[in-house]
Amino acid sequence: MRSVPFSCLVFAVMLVALGAIFLWVPTEKEMGIVQRIFYFHVPAAFSSFLAFFLVFVGSIQYLRTREDKWDRLALCSAELGVIFALIVLITGPLWAKPIWGVYWRWEPRLTSMLITFTIYVAYLMVRGYGANSAPVQRISAVLGILAFANVPLVYYAVDLWAADQQLHPPRNVELEPTMQYTKWICCAAFFLLLFRLIAQRMELARIEKAVALLRQKLIDET
Amino acid sequence: MSFLGRALAILRKDLKAEWRTKARLSPMVFFILLMLLVFNFSFDLGGAALREIGPGTLWSSYVFASLLSLGRSFADERDNNALDALLLAPGDCGAIYLGKMLGNFVFLLAIELLSLPFFALFFNLSLGFFLLPLLAVFVLGSACMASAGTLFAALSNNMRLRELMLPLLLLPMILPALISSVEATGLVLANECCEKLFPHLQMLGVYAVVFTVLSLMLFEYAIEE
Amino acid sequence: MSGDDAIVLAGAAKRFGTHTALHPIDLVIPRGQAALLVGANGAGKSTLLRLVAGLCRPSAGSVKINGRDPQRTPEVRAEIGLLSHQTLLYDELTARENLRFFAQLYGLDNPDELLAAALAAVGLCFPSPVLATHERLNQRVGSFSRGMKQRLAIARAILHGPSILLLDEPFTGLDTSACAALHRLLRRFRQEGRTCILVTHRLDEAEGLVDRLLVIERGQRRLDQVLTEDSNQLRTLCAPYLDANP
Repeated sequence: MRSVPFSCLVFAVMLVALGAIFLWVPTEKEMGIVQRIFYFHVPAAFSSFLAFFLVFVGSIQYLRTREDKWDRLALCSAELGVIFALIVLITGPLWAKPIWGVYWRWEPRLTSMLITFTIYVAYLMVRGYGANSAPVQRISAVLGILAFANVPLVYYAVDLWAADQQLHPPRNVELEPTMQYTKWICCAAFFLLLFRLIAQRMELARIEKAVALLRQKLIDET
Repeated sequence: MSFLGRALAILRKDLKAEWRTKARLSPMVFFILLMLLVFNFSFDLGGAALREIGPGTLWSSYVFASLLSLGRSFADERDNNALDALLLAPGDCGAIYLGKMLGNFVFLLAIELLSLPFFALFFNLSLGFFLLPLLAVFVLGSACMASAGTLFAALSNNMRLRELMLPLLLLPMILPALISSVEATGLVLANECCEKLFPHLQMLGVYAVVFTVLSLMLFEYAIEE
Repeated sequence: MSGDDAIVLAGAAKRFGTHTALHPIDLVIPRGQAALLVGANGAGKSTLLRLVAGLCRPSAGSVKINGRDPQRTPEVRAEIGLLSHQTLLYDELTARENLRFFAQLYGLDNPDELLAAALAAVGLCFPSPVLATHERLNQRVGSFSRGMKQRLAIARAILHGPSILLLDEPFTGLDTSACAALHRLLRRFRQEGRTCILVTHRLDEAEGLVDRLLVIERGQRRLDQVLTEDSNQLRTLCAPYLDANP
């Protein structure tokens, strides 16, 4: 299989990232051990937005070319984007409980992430339940474009709504070099994993479609 | 015929049909009255928390009424497949979007304005000079709802589980506009005008423009077969 | 491609998901030809008409109307008049309002004259309007009988004077006099050199109105034949196809 070397690379980088998180990087002074969840939280957030961007790209390209592969890219990226967003929404509260004393606060960053997550869950709902077989790809492509265009608006509106309740650590915080490197290694690991999973899922989607076509052909011929 | 001319022809057609049936206005205003009753028993609206929850109840009722109204917006086109006839006419189909969107805008704004007296009555608001900024919030809020709502109504038009899918899709998408509408209404009712209000109005304006432009571009894909 | 071809389908196909409604088909209909399209339910007749009308986008291949793609150049759609099996009318509006609205969408200058002409053509409005008919036009379409709706739907399809007519089961719901009016109309259109694709399973009605027969079955063309004057020819040619399908 062609993807074996790539899978090995992903595995290796993930091992390095784990090593960096648990063996190499020093423990943060104030927050203690729980801060290490940051190395999963932040790369997962980046990965989910990268995946949502891929939904956007796939959607535009599908409407332009009508090639199934772009629709598959959009679908599979949306699924993985939602999973990575879920990782963000789970790791966040795990960190927040010891630091803020509660799992959840209606704080701007958390709120925007939650809204973004619901938008893409709705996208997947449509793909799963809403559409007749015919227009599902086209409808999803329109949705994929609108969803991505809406993300900046969500962030802007939520910031306006609760500008004074900002509790989430800012994105451009000064990090100690070791921590900075660890963050980048983890990002690399997450991105590679994302690409690997999307590729795998797209291949699966291609096979599913081929099977569906064969089944239909069989029905038509009998 | 010009793009705008066709859009206006569709708008006139929708207004005429609505004037005859009143299927989307009076039931929605009544629905809002019912929502107020529900909210009253859920939150005790007469209490001191009115300023806090007033704008929220107002917009929650509007959003649900809007969802119902938007869900009906392609019903006439669907009944005898008249949408096909619109698509058969020559010219850019963005005009269909614009016509339907303007119609929805008028209906949503009408629903809001017609139900405003109920709010004033039940919330003991004396509608005075802040009516003007409130009107601005309503106009922009309805524009946001109509711009995104019309496209999603068209999208869900040929979906399975149409009635369910429209709210599932539209609610998360409309949240940015809803947040600003509620905030802006709260500011107006608290007599805090101008400075704090402006960014919210701006947000609503940006949202309406972004979704109108995107919808004009994407509408042909939303309804094609 | 010659400039005299009204409709040209080159490898045009339509898939809905995994279901293939129309297999790739090459079809040329010269200007002025009237073709009869026959096939069992679900054979792909309506899909073919919708492709030609530009209402749906071919999954493969291309559709050209008068040499232009109806999806890319929407103006060319003004050349097409489609009668679908639904009326495409608004129940809440009156007959007159419906027709006036569509006249507006087509940007017609003299809607009232065209409206009267279209109505006269389907036997709804005579040179000296009968009062009863006149009154009918100001009533809601929703209150009309099936036959009246069908007449109006035909009037809507021909309102803008299209040079290409796509008629899906036009005789449905029409009484004898309306059928006769439709016959007159279709004959006149043939004389005027308009192109027509007629879909109907009532072969006796199509007799003498068409000069080509197309039979499709499960989205594929089975028969394509230019007709002679022999009046029994249609029935004989179609017989094996109409009975073969469930």
